[in-house]
Amino acid sequence: MDDVERKVIDLIAEVLVDVNKENIQLDSKIVEDLGAESLDIYDMIALLEDEFGLEINDEEVEKIQTVKDVASFIKAAGRA
Amino acid sequence: MRRKVVVTGMGMVTGLGNGVPANWAAVKSGRSGIGPITLFDASRHRTRIAGEVRGNFDPAGYIHEKEARRMDRYQHLAMVAAYEAINDARLPYPPSEPYRCGAVIGSGMGGLASIEDGFRSVEQKGPKGAHPMVIPMSVINLAPGMMSIRFGFKGPNFGVVNACTSGTSAIGEAYRIVREGRSDVMLTGGTEAVITPLSIAAFNALRALSVRNDEPEKASRPFDRDRDGFVIGEGAGILVLESEDHALARGALIHGEIAGYGATDDAFHVVMPASDGEGAYYAMRFALEDAGVDPSEIGYINAHGTSTDLNDKMETMAIKRLFGPCAEKVAISSTKSMTGHLIGAAGAVEAIFSIMAIKEGIIPPTINLENPDPECDLDYTPNEAVSRQIAYALSNSFAFGGQNASLVLKQV
Repeated sequence: MDDVERKVIDLIAEVLVDVNKENIQLDSKIVEDLGAESLDIYDMIALLEDEFGLEINDEEVEKIQTVKDVASFIKAAGRA
Repeated sequence: MRRKVVVTGMGMVTGLGNGVPANWAAVKSGRSGIGPITLFDASRHRTRIAGEVRGNFDPAGYIHEKEARRMDRYQHLAMVAAYEAINDARLPYPPSEPYRCGAVIGSGMGGLASIEDGFRSVEQKGPKGAHPMVIPMSVINLAPGMMSIRFGFKGPNFGVVNACTSGTSAIGEAYRIVREGRSDVMLTGGTEAVITPLSIAAFNALRALSVRNDEPEKASRPFDRDRDGFVIGEGAGILVLESEDHALARGALIHGEIAGYGATDDAFHVVMPASDGEGAYYAMRFALEDAGVDPSEIGYINAHGTSTDLNDKMETMAIKRLFGPCAEKVAISSTKSMTGHLIGAAGAVEAIFSIMAIKEGIIPPTINLENPDPECDLDYTPNEAVSRQIAYALSNSFAFGGQNASLVLKQV
C-alpha cells in the first residue's frame, strides 16, 4: 500500500462512524461493503479535496466504487 | 383536558461542570465559572472573558468521536445533557409508544460557530469550500432532531428560537403539549455555544458585555451598583417532562412539577426592555395565574438577572409591581452571577436550579453583590446560599426582541 492509499483509508475511516479502519481494504466497495450513504460520500469528497488540493466532480464520483478507485483517481489527477 | 406535568429527568453542562450534581454543588457554594476565553484568540476583542465549558464534557462517550466531528458544539452539549436527563429519568429508549414522545429544544443562535467556519472557508476557497455538514450543523432544529434519532422519539419535535428566552419558552411549550395530551413524554430545554469571534464582537458592538477582563470571576454581578454588562456563557440544560399519570404508571422518581407558564412581548424595542417592566410583569403574572397561585406562595424567584444596567432595574420593578408587599419577603437570586448568561440555554439551566432549590430547600446566591444598586433593593440572596423551605419557585427569562417568559415550578 502506498502513501496515497493509506491516506485515503484514513479519511474514509474518519467519515464512517460504524467502520473500523482495520476493516477497510483496498478492494472494499465504499457503498456496498462499507455502508456509506450519500451524506458520507459528500463528506469524503470534501475531505479528499481538502487533503489533496484537487476537485472531484459528481460525474467522476459515479465511476468510483472501491477504495483503490479513489486512490487511483487521486494519483491520476496529481499527474494531470 | 388538563393533565399534571412533572419533571422526571434533568441534565446539564455549563462552565461550572458536567452534570446536575456538580453544577448544583457549585452554585450552592457560590463558585464562579467565568474565566478567560480560550475557544478562540480573543486578544483583539473588548471582552476576553466568558463561561466556557472546559475540557472533555462527554467523559461517558455518549457521542462517538467521529460523530462529534459532524456536530456543532451546541448540538454536542445538548446531546450530553439529554443523555444525562433520560438516564436520570430511567426512561427506556426507544420507547414503546414512540409517537407519544417528543422533543422541543431552544437555542438563540444554534451553530453560529459552524456558520462562521463555513463562511471563512468559502471566502478562502470559493463555493467548493462549503462542507456538506454546514447546514445540519448550524440549524437549530437539529438539536431536537438528533434527540429524536438517538432516542427513537417520533412525536412532536421542533426548535424554539427566542434569544435569551429560548430555554424557558421551549419548556413552556413542551409543558403545554404534555398538559393538553398531545404527548406523554417530552425532552425539553435549551442549548447554546456562541463563544465565537463574531458573537463576542457583535455583543460588544451592542455594548452588552462586561469588559471586566482583569477580574473574570467578579464580572457577572447582577443587581450590583458596579455591574457593567452580562458575561456570556455556554452549555445546555435538558429536562424530561411527563404527564403525572405516565410517570406514576412506570414508577418514575418525580423531581417537581411544571405548574404554570406565562409568555408576553414588550412591543417596545429591538434590544431594550420596556422601562416600566410591563412585559415582564405580565409574563410572571400569567405564569402565576396559570398555576393558580398567589404571589405570597412563591418562595423563590430565579431572576433573569443578567448584570446589565437596564435588565436588573426593570426586573426589580416588575417583581415589585406583581408581588406588592410580598416583594421584600421573596428570596430572589441570579445564578447567572456564577454560570454567566447561557443565552438560549439560560432558562433551562435556571429551571433546573429552581427545581433543585425546591427539592433541597436551599436558595443559591447571587455572587458579587457587594454594593447593591439603590434601584435594586430586594432580597437577592447576596453571596451566600440560604436554607428556606419553598413550595413554589418562579423562573424568569427576558430576551432581546422583547420576549418574556416565566415558569412556575412546584414541589411534589
